[in-house]
Amino acid sequence: MLEIADLQVSVAGKPILKGLSLRVGPGEVHAVMGPNGSGKSTLAHVLAGRDGYEVTGGTVRLDGEDLLALEPEERARAGVFLAMQYPVEIPGVANMYFLRQAINAIRKAREQPEVPAAEFMRRVREQARLLGIGEELLKRDLNAGFSGGEKKRNEILQMAMLEPRLAILDETDSGLDIDALKTVADGVNRLRRPDRAFLVITHYQRLLDYIVPDVVHVLADGQIRRSGGPELARALEEQGYEGVLGARLAA
Amino acid sequence: MVAIQSRRRIDPDPGFVRSFAERAQDLPGAASPLLRRLRAERLERFMELGVPTRRDEAWRFSDVARHANRPAGPAAPVELALERILPHLLGGPKARRLVFVNGRLQPQWSHVGGLPEGAQVESLARAAEARPEAVAAALAGPDGGRSFTALNAAFSDCGAWVEIGPGVELADPLQLLFVTVGDVAPGMIHPRVRIRLGDGAALELIESHVGLGPGPVLTNLVLETELGTGARLTHDRLQTMAAEATSIGRIEARLAAEARYRQTTVVAGGALVRNESEIRIQGSGVECLLAGVAMPLGREQVDTLVRMHHEAPCSHSDQSFRSIVDERAHSAFAGKILVHPGAQGTNAYQKSDNLLLSEEGEVDTKPELEIYADDVKCSHGATCGDLDPAALFYLRARGLAPEAARALLTWAFAAELVERLAEPTVRQAARRALAARLPSGAVPLEEAA
Repeated sequence: MLEIADLQVSVAGKPILKGLSLRVGPGEVHAVMGPNGSGKSTLAHVLAGRDGYEVTGGTVRLDGEDLLALEPEERARAGVFLAMQYPVEIPGVANMYFLRQAINAIRKAREQPEVPAAEFMRRVREQARLLGIGEELLKRDLNAGFSGGEKKRNEILQMAMLEPRLAILDETDSGLDIDALKTVADGVNRLRRPDRAFLVITHYQRLLDYIVPDVVHVLADGQIRRSGGPELARALEEQGYEGVLGARLAA
Repeated sequence: MVAIQSRRRIDPDPGFVRSFAERAQDLPGAASPLLRRLRAERLERFMELGVPTRRDEAWRFSDVARHANRPAGPAAPVELALERILPHLLGGPKARRLVFVNGRLQPQWSHVGGLPEGAQVESLARAAEARPEAVAAALAGPDGGRSFTALNAAFSDCGAWVEIGPGVELADPLQLLFVTVGDVAPGMIHPRVRIRLGDGAALELIESHVGLGPGPVLTNLVLETELGTGARLTHDRLQTMAAEATSIGRIEARLAAEARYRQTTVVAGGALVRNESEIRIQGSGVECLLAGVAMPLGREQVDTLVRMHHEAPCSHSDQSFRSIVDERAHSAFAGKILVHPGAQGTNAYQKSDNLLLSEEGEVDTKPELEIYADDVKCSHGATCGDLDPAALFYLRARGLAPEAARALLTWAFAAELVERLAEPTVRQAARRALAARLPSGAVPLEEAA
């Protein structure tokens, strides 16, 4: 479903991803782990289409379509969702208004009718309840004044409502206490479906105790250095990146 | 003439004198020799002061002469159908209202009766008839060398006289609606408003200016208000002038101890809209909050000038102004906080934030502090920039088209201050007026409900 081949990306002329290859099939959950500065967030942003990243080589295909040729909104409409590490606060834009706009923009692109207001609210409330998001938070402006945990829950709420084909979680565990981590992980697990793929980008193994991946990749110095099952994540936790990859590669 | 030599002022168009001669007999209080004399004297004063140029520091950002120094008769009488007025009647069904169309009171839409004892709202014409001395005293007040204040005193052809006695709180808003209908020939109106709130009195004022039809119209308003101890004035202002219209408005407020004055202005339309506020805080425990949003388009210009005087200790003032400038529009903000000697314990803040959406647009902002006391907290700040790229990406990454994302963020920038309008119907009208000016017209109005 997602095929990344020999992806090379520079930021301000400096190579960050140096030939990254990865295949994620439908229904699979892949984790990408790596030390700081290995290129994890670059990967997430490039997949979502953020400015400031120069793709100097390689391809990314989603269901055979050239993802890199699409604008960010076209990727979203094609089913890509990035749960951001630092969701932006946008005072003045109501959370629910925004979410409905987003859903309808995506539905419109798919030639589906707009979601009726009542059904939208029913679904939002249901998802919010599952994620432990209070009614008050729904009424606030988008992420404005939200705590770190509230922002991450709000990202998962958006993910649940937008029903992506490919969900990318960029360090969703950062800044979460253990209860919030569990709630967020449960939220993700509920969304696992045979036709939906997940790319979970994380620094720590902790999140993977709750979102159990099918495949774990270790990213270091802009390339996938090692791939394996969930046991690879545990090995990283015990031995560290240096222990698993050797000091040279982990640098 | 000295003024001419320095080029800080230029000679007024002779049309003003002609127009005055034609109208003097019909102006409010014309039956009173005192008022007639005073008006003639104020006109002379205006001719002497001249029209300011950009060399006049207070007008450095706007070429007001280009807009306002042209021969103009009285704005022509017009009959407006109810449906053209209806959308601009704000404040709800119980609001009191004075409606002027081209400077003429429209009794069929005006209603100021049934007020509690101690409260009186009159049109300027009625006040000038009943108490010419009081009106003359107001018009004779010092003009501080301001040409347009003198011009207003000479012509003041419409407006309101409001007196709310001590302890009287009006439950329903009062709307002053000034509609101008542009004609082929340039016209002008000179509204004069005087509002006095006794100790502990409260009023919610809606001041709205609506321009209909093309053609140059000049609105030259002076609004004076005086708040007694603990009085509360909420002042919502909505200015949707026509594309060729010019508006010069000056608000002077004097606030006694514990008074609260909240002024929120939304400007959406007008070739030049100049808003001056000069506030004198004369007691302790005062709270004065000024806010404004302006969204000039095309070649429109919005020019805001604030003078916030802290003349007494331990009061609080806050100014927050935003502009959204697109196309070849121009926004200027000059704000000054003056903390007078002895005004210890003053808290005074000022912020000017500007969104510049085009290459050709222009933003000028000049925040100033002048402090003659040592134990005060004052701050000012100004920003000018484009939309936040991170926020744009966030919205696009959720599927919103770039135009929709830009419109939504632009809207959000304005919306925060629009929320400060006290009266829901004004908020709604302001949202409509601003939303119509958004780049893509992708209008988040439903959230208004």
